[in-house]
Amino acid sequence: MSTLLPFHTSILNEIYDPDTSDLLNLVLLVNATQEEETEIGEELGIMGCRKPGLRVVGYETGTSRDRQDLYKGGGLIAVTSRILVVDLLQNTIPVELITGIMVMHAERVSPLHLVSFITRLYREKNTKGFLKAFTDQPEHITSGLSPLKNIMKELRLRRVWIYPRFHQEVKDTLERKRADVIELAQNLTDNMNDIHGAIVQCMTITLAELRRSKVELDLDGLNLPAAYFSSFDHIVRKQLDPIWHKVGPSTKALVRDLGILRRLLGYLLVYDPLQFHSFCQSLVEAVTSNSTESGSGKSQWMLTDAANIVFQAAKKRCFVDVPVQEQPEQTEVIDLDDDDEAWDAVFELEGRPLEARHPTNKDKGKATATGRRPKWLPKEIQPVLEELPKWSLLAEILEEIEGELVRMESTVSSRPVEESPGTNITLVMCSSTATCNLLNDFLSSMDDKRPKGEWGRRMMLKKLQSWFWWEKRRKMMKEAMQNASSSGKKVGNSYLETTVWSGESLNDKGDHGLSEAMKKKDRERAAQKASRRRIRGGGPTNSSARGATVPRDTPAPGESRSELGFSQTMPDDFLNANNEELLSLNDEEMELNLVTDMSTLEFAIEFDEHYGLLAPAQTVLVRAYSDDTDDRMLDEIKPRFIVMTEPCMEFVRRVEVYKCSNPGLPVRVYHMVYANSCEEHKYLAGIRREKDSFERLIKERGSMLLPILEDQRTTENDAIIKTISSRIAGGRRELNVVSSQVIVDMREFRSTLPSLLHASQLLVIPATLTVGDYILTPEICVERKSLSDLVSSFNSGRLYTQCELMSVHYKTPVLLIEFDEDKAFSFEIISDLKSYAKTTNRYPPKKKTTGNPAEHEYTSPTIQSKITLLTLSFPRLRIIWSSSPYATADIFNDLKKDRAEPDPGKAVATGAEEDPEAGAGVNAAAEELLRSFPGITAKNVKHVMNKVMNVRELCEMDLVGVQGILGVEPGKACYDFLHRGEKGFRI
Amino acid sequence: MSSSSSLSRPAPPVVIPGSGNHIILNPLQRGNPVLECIRNVGKEYGDIVADYQVGRTTGVLFLSLKYHRLHPEYIHTRIEKLGHHYTLRILLILSDISEHKDPIRELTKACLTNNITVIVAFSFEEAGHYLTIFKQFEYKPPNMIKERVDKDYISMLRTTLTSISKVNKTDVETLRNSFGSIANIAKAQPEQLANLPGFGQVKVKNIKNAFEKPFRNHATNTVSFMASSQSQAGNKPHDEQTEPGPSHKSVRDPSPVWDIELDL
Repeated sequence: MSTLLPFHTSILNEIYDPDTSDLLNLVLLVNATQEEETEIGEELGIMGCRKPGLRVVGYETGTSRDRQDLYKGGGLIAVTSRILVVDLLQNTIPVELITGIMVMHAERVSPLHLVSFITRLYREKNTKGFLKAFTDQPEHITSGLSPLKNIMKELRLRRVWIYPRFHQEVKDTLERKRADVIELAQNLTDNMNDIHGAIVQCMTITLAELRRSKVELDLDGLNLPAAYFSSFDHIVRKQLDPIWHKVGPSTKALVRDLGILRRLLGYLLVYDPLQFHSFCQSLVEAVTSNSTESGSGKSQWMLTDAANIVFQAAKKRCFVDVPVQEQPEQTEVIDLDDDDEAWDAVFELEGRPLEARHPTNKDKGKATATGRRPKWLPKEIQPVLEELPKWSLLAEILEEIEGELVRMESTVSSRPVEESPGTNITLVMCSSTATCNLLNDFLSSMDDKRPKGEWGRRMMLKKLQSWFWWEKRRKMMKEAMQNASSSGKKVGNSYLETTVWSGESLNDKGDHGLSEAMKKKDRERAAQKASRRRIRGGGPTNSSARGATVPRDTPAPGESRSELGFSQTMPDDFLNANNEELLSLNDEEMELNLVTDMSTLEFAIEFDEHYGLLAPAQTVLVRAYSDDTDDRMLDEIKPRFIVMTEPCMEFVRRVEVYKCSNPGLPVRVYHMVYANSCEEHKYLAGIRREKDSFERLIKERGSMLLPILEDQRTTENDAIIKTISSRIAGGRRELNVVSSQVIVDMREFRSTLPSLLHASQLLVIPATLTVGDYILTPEICVERKSLSDLVSSFNSGRLYTQCELMSVHYKTPVLLIEFDEDKAFSFEIISDLKSYAKTTNRYPPKKKTTGNPAEHEYTSPTIQSKITLLTLSFPRLRIIWSSSPYATADIFNDLKKDRAEPDPGKAVATGAEEDPEAGAGVNAAAEELLRSFPGITAKNVKHVMNKVMNVRELCEMDLVGVQGILGVEPGKACYDFLHRGEKGFRI
Repeated sequence: MSSSSSLSRPAPPVVIPGSGNHIILNPLQRGNPVLECIRNVGKEYGDIVADYQVGRTTGVLFLSLKYHRLHPEYIHTRIEKLGHHYTLRILLILSDISEHKDPIRELTKACLTNNITVIVAFSFEEAGHYLTIFKQFEYKPPNMIKERVDKDYISMLRTTLTSISKVNKTDVETLRNSFGSIANIAKAQPEQLANLPGFGQVKVKNIKNAFEKPFRNHATNTVSFMASSQSQAGNKPHDEQTEPGPSHKSVRDPSPVWDIELDL
């Protein structure tokens, strides 16, 4: 139980017996993430257990029969919890034969967790098998009253072992040998410091604001270092949940803002300035574009000066705006955003010789830019391209290592007798794969002739270029959308779209020509441009021919605009301007950039190139921190030099272990951290937190009252009484053949209700249902909706369809509205749940003129009015209001009393007559996605799912194919939706 | 005070329920604070079995849980009196006590047997709102809650992509800006997704799952298989595990057994 030990290996040691070297018994691995599953599999392979090794059972693993065979074969099998629950319930898995279950991430277990359900099902029939639970995150078992006890109670465990870092045994082992650690504290640049300070200030403001809000919060936890951790949100939410409906929207926004700010702070230190800047922009954009939908969504911190500093400085790190000098051309009628090529065209039209304009262009270029300024750079921008200080620090370290290696080699060659262990590979560790790519890029394109701090100039310029491209595109899309929505007409919308895209596709074609021509002479290029202009000019004209203008052969942009201007001045305006600006980027290069930016596929190949340049004898490997694979990686590579670009407690522990397991190996660790930054605080606070939580755990273990496990199920008696049917007249004592059962839709196993139903003595039968979620009796069919589901399915119209279906097939359709256990039993919470599909102006607010302030809540269609409408539409529909899943379980039990039992076969077949594979499990996420496409309705979704394998296949079909499945009209709608906005991108 | 029916007053002049645009109130409801909260529709007293008649065929009974706690038998007599009147029968419960779990459970059951739909309101305001809307929406077509198709592209895109868990509005913008269309997103490599600002491993995995995992995962039995195993289960419950259901075989070939062979 610590972030310290080679975790997986020790787990495997628990179950693996090297003498027999196989795993004949059936051991299940539960609650592991996908990555962990593969890792454990590999680990097993290393330990010599190959056949059959670890098998993984997920959603794609055949039918239940296949799984059954697999289980019978035995061995170590990793199972997804939801599948395991179903298999246990369906008796697919031979419960009596299970040797044991291993539970990963024991810290997540709670009474409502699926693992508790699994434990209950397992212990019901199997009392001999073992159950071992593991966790390496003691921090998570500290909140609440006696958390450790609760977990142990759920898992029915009696004993717990704790191995913290300060455990004597551990300490002794690890501290015999110490690695040579060099701590490097790098200062932030001024701009970064400003941003950092500003963000921290924002966080402090937000926290203070939160504290000031009337809400009763446990104020101890609400200090700044705690807010650095993602668990902070969780803590705050947990405290706020029961009173969430009383919390004003501003407070909610505060809680959300804290999360955003925290992420921003993290990104500041790892993202390159451009990426950071664009993230800031996305943030601003997301806020501004939403302001119409929910007025409460405004973030207060965004309005502060500090936020302004953040955004300004973020921009300043990339480039500064320079006022464009001397613009005599302004006097002319056409304003073309001082675009070279536009001018080319204009000049050409005016009949001036091409040579004449070149000097002017050059002049203009020199006026603003100094040195060799890339062609594609807009005039009004002066690139700054600040680099993260760690980059150059890293480069220096690598240089130092190189020198060290050379020195070592010379000493070794003088004494060739002893071969020192370890390789010359330098390992550079960073926090994420994205950072990893960034560092790789930097190292490969590094240019140390330039002054320090500009070594990565080449890479940054490339990034800047791609950023401009991105930015252009974004602007264009945005404006197109805005125009469309402001015009409000669908026709105008689609028209505009075609204008933009047809313009752009031609543009693409033209650019292709351009990129080749780039290599040729100046003159040729100019000619090429001129001809391209003609093509491009035709773009908007062609499409606007529908708008009843006369098509022209070679229109100059200015002229064509004045003609087209009658209806679409704006779009054409920006279209033209944009086309030209886009053109000025070298498109081919652009694309290459994007490709290298976005893919990491040729990673390995690139390595050799890069590091061949850097130092022949030495290789640099940049890796991201991950979990236990790091241990193995260290063992395989055996590096002597490790550079940690970001502090990571876990990795420090791994290095300790690595050092100890390789006694003769000299290890030097460079540990980089930004001085006085959140990174440093976070690292230190993290260590402290771990220690504290261990102490708490140990204390709790000392004083824990272990629950005596209650007898599994209540005795048979009860069950018999329950099955006596009193429906039979005359009180005749007759036993029902089947016990009380509920048929539950497979998808519902994500919720906690099935587990509770089972706990309340009902027999839960999993099945994939077409109609409804729970079938209680042959007549009662229940559709469960949590609050957020309720809102979204009202908005999408899904609920209406579901009710329609239920009404057709069942006598008593029931809608279950389930509130959350620890949240308030009230509808007021709904106001802040997300609802994107809500069209605010479609239904004009009801005419209420009394001016009573209380009525403002009801201006848009409320959830209440939707429920009303639903009941009016379906008079037979009953509604169950349940304050928590526990209450639901009670209500279900109540409703089932004295009624007939449902038939699973019939339930599955209901409403699925035309579906040959009815009842086969469904990938809920994919289905959800599919349903939200236009042209796909509740009625044809099953059909589509039978025709195509996955969403991607649908996306790759051509129009005819899609229409073949959906029909002409919806097929077209769907196809258009899927492929809209595609033409500008070639990926 | 806040009890739903105060019986003490002398009976008011009784009017025969008209068919107009008014909510017809049962005289028993006189003095109920809910009346204050019914706005924008007319109210008149009339001789009806329900407490409120909010439409030709819609009758509402009102019950405050506070009152119910004192007089648990009251509502049953009212339900009895209601007989078989009205097609849409509503029991409007005002949840004004903190121990609402048990009474609501009992009432739910009683209503299910008597074909009454339960609506729970959490304040007098809300209850009044319900009554108002019932009247206002009497003839309203259910378009508002039906599946809609004509939405603008952006909001549709948002709904689509945010249906994947962990994907938020900002991510939708990012995805749209970097890939353009949904089809392109579907084609995107996980590495490409992971490189976008704000995208972590989990998010990428969720997106890829939604786009690329097959629709059918065969987590449960199909009907045909179920039918066959059911019939077998009836006869010889232990044999079913060994021999495959013949009808199931015909549907599709079984997938190959999942077996990871890792070589290191």
